[in-house]
Amino acid sequence: METGFLQEQRTLEGDLNSKTSHKNSVDYLMNWFRSRSIFVLAYGTGCGAIEMPPTFTSRYDAERLGIRGAATPRQADVIIVSGYCSYKTLRRIIRTYEQMSNPKYLLALGSCTINGGMYWDSYNTIKKLEDYLPVDMYVSGCMPRPESILEGFIALQKDISNGKASSWQKYEDNYEFYRKNQEAVLGKTVEPSYEADWYLYDGGL
Amino acid sequence: MFNEIKNQFATNDVIIKRDDLYKVSVNYERVFSLIDFVGDSYNYKTLNAITCTDWIEDNHFAITYMLTTIDRRSTFMIQTMVSRENTKIKSLSQKFKQAEIMERDLAEMYGIDFVGNKNLKELSLENWVHTPPLRREFDTLEFVNNHLTFREGRDDNVDTKVEAKRLRAIKKAEKEALKKAKEEAEAKKIQEENQDGK
Amino acid sequence: MENKHITIFHGPQHPGITGNMSVELDLIGETIQKATTHVGYLHRGFEKLVERRTVIQAFTIVCRICVPEPDPNEANFAMAVEELAGLEITPRASYIRVMVLELSRLAAQFLWMAGQSGSIGLYAVGQWAIADRDLILDLFEELTGARVYHMYIYPGGVRRDLPEGFLERVSKLLTYMKKRLKDYDDIFINNASFKNRAIGVGIVTKEEAINNGYVGQILRGCGIKADVRKDAPYLIYNELEFDVPTQTAGDVYARALVRRDEMDQGIHILEQVVAKMPEGEVMVKMPTHRKFKLPKDDTWVKVESARGEFAYYMAGDGTENIRRMQVRGPSLVHAFTLLEKLLVGAELSDVALIMNSLGICPPEIER
Repeated sequence: METGFLQEQRTLEGDLNSKTSHKNSVDYLMNWFRSRSIFVLAYGTGCGAIEMPPTFTSRYDAERLGIRGAATPRQADVIIVSGYCSYKTLRRIIRTYEQMSNPKYLLALGSCTINGGMYWDSYNTIKKLEDYLPVDMYVSGCMPRPESILEGFIALQKDISNGKASSWQKYEDNYEFYRKNQEAVLGKTVEPSYEADWYLYDGGL
Repeated sequence: MFNEIKNQFATNDVIIKRDDLYKVSVNYERVFSLIDFVGDSYNYKTLNAITCTDWIEDNHFAITYMLTTIDRRSTFMIQTMVSRENTKIKSLSQKFKQAEIMERDLAEMYGIDFVGNKNLKELSLENWVHTPPLRREFDTLEFVNNHLTFREGRDDNVDTKVEAKRLRAIKKAEKEALKKAKEEAEAKKIQEENQDGK
Repeated sequence: MENKHITIFHGPQHPGITGNMSVELDLIGETIQKATTHVGYLHRGFEKLVERRTVIQAFTIVCRICVPEPDPNEANFAMAVEELAGLEITPRASYIRVMVLELSRLAAQFLWMAGQSGSIGLYAVGQWAIADRDLILDLFEELTGARVYHMYIYPGGVRRDLPEGFLERVSKLLTYMKKRLKDYDDIFINNASFKNRAIGVGIVTKEEAINNGYVGQILRGCGIKADVRKDAPYLIYNELEFDVPTQTAGDVYARALVRRDEMDQGIHILEQVVAKMPEGEVMVKMPTHRKFKLPKDDTWVKVESARGEFAYYMAGDGTENIRRMQVRGPSLVHAFTLLEKLLVGAELSDVALIMNSLGICPPEIER
């Protein structure tokens, strides 16, 4: 029987290897890889971002679970919406989320993403994140402690390894629903546009 | 110092709030000359903040300029009242560089036009078409109810007193039901014992 | 070959940004020609929300105005309400407040150290600093029940008394910190790679600092002894003995040295507070606790936060609600007037360095 740190590690990872609900061994292997290497986008969208450094540095050490940071959306697997989400940020989050490559997951921190939290009567924050973007895991609290964030990640890892976390699929299937909700708060123009014309601008690079 | 201000700027409204905080209320026409005067004569050279309070019942905004001395030991509040409708105020951005951003903030939140400030575009909001949010007539709760959906089960609008009464009543009813059940059980027990006795 | 302008956004999604904000940079090659700051990504409308709430309800949300160090907000709010309502807090409450403020300043300096070193690629310092900051957060958790948002400094005193043996744990932490900070000197402050990057970058002159209303380390980094704790003492700071460290160079390195010296001074203040802590009540008796009314009056209070002068304007109107609460955070002017000026002519790789050294915190700019 292990004690201390090793025991904690085993308890946390205990369910990750369950073989239920996999189609075949390739799926199982793919999900295993995905769940063990989670790259988190460096985007602190709200005040929950202040608990990200402790989570990722030596004390709570998320890297022991295969969770670490990534600088750009193309390389990231998970985007964390850390707390309240103003319209101006929501526009950037949507843009960033759509730039990330599949499979991608969204972790929402704090009561503000769940039901508005403290800012339930604020004119500039949205109240329910899942109307605008698909959420894989909510972590409650104001703000969530590093332990809760780790718990959220582990729950997400379990979902990934069981093949349950498929919010990006949901987003593609129900794109019109999400788009309608997004336009309801952001207006018809979800700027900036997707046409990458800067390299053609002014005679090209 | 205060006598001089009272005489020169025709005001009686000088309040010493703390040892390091004075407040003067003057007419709008005299504000900018007063700012120059205290800056030149008494070293209040740094503009720390511009604030605005909406007194909707008196139909005016109270604009307050906070000026600090160079040694930062004393603060001067210069307050003036301006009309709430189509408010136009001379900008201080020529004299103080930092006024530009402060005025930009107020212009967005109250819809005040600072004449002479070239950079009055949106600061915090994006594509905002409604009433400027910090004006008193803008009701944020009404706005939220009209534009956004809440998750079901969030009952923030409940009157706490009524809610406490309701919860107390439920608790009381539960307690009574429990008591009743207990009594019935006891009565049954006694009955059974009696039957056993027979 | 002809020079080509490229416009890029530094942020809001960027590892080298101090919060959710962005700087639009106009570049020729690596050199910045023009910088424009964009904020507003964190606007929640605090000043509107406070108008709708009673004093006790507003008290729970004010600490959320500045995320890295929420306690100056609570102190400012409490001081403004006390001044309007004419409350006088007890000596013990004053001492506890100073202790909380200084601990939070120390925690914020550690967070700055992590950000500043991360901006030049010294990631080991970040790992250390965040772990050491957590030791302070543990004390906060014991005292207030929360790691980050404490909601502890309440109008009329502090929310609860110190737990048993708390002061011993504080002094134990201070002994550790004193020993530990020397390691930071070796790995970070005296590190040649930091010196090479920081000396001569982002220079602010004295005249400019006074005229444009800069505060905090930017003033002290160019030789002006400005500190609200000395200039307009609040709470019990006039009973304590401490220095205001200054440097004359006015560059990024000077500001780093000022911050480093302030950490020593903070530990010195905390030692005095622990030694002098008086006995007594921590909360004055308030008959109208839940229906607290503010008179029709206004005031302007300020405290020294880890990044400079943090001020509140508050006006009451004779009802239970606050009529107006305006926040003047230290980085309001820094993020616009100063940053936009300092970045012109700087290299692209210095943007994160300069931003961190100014201590820009977007949530207090847009509230």
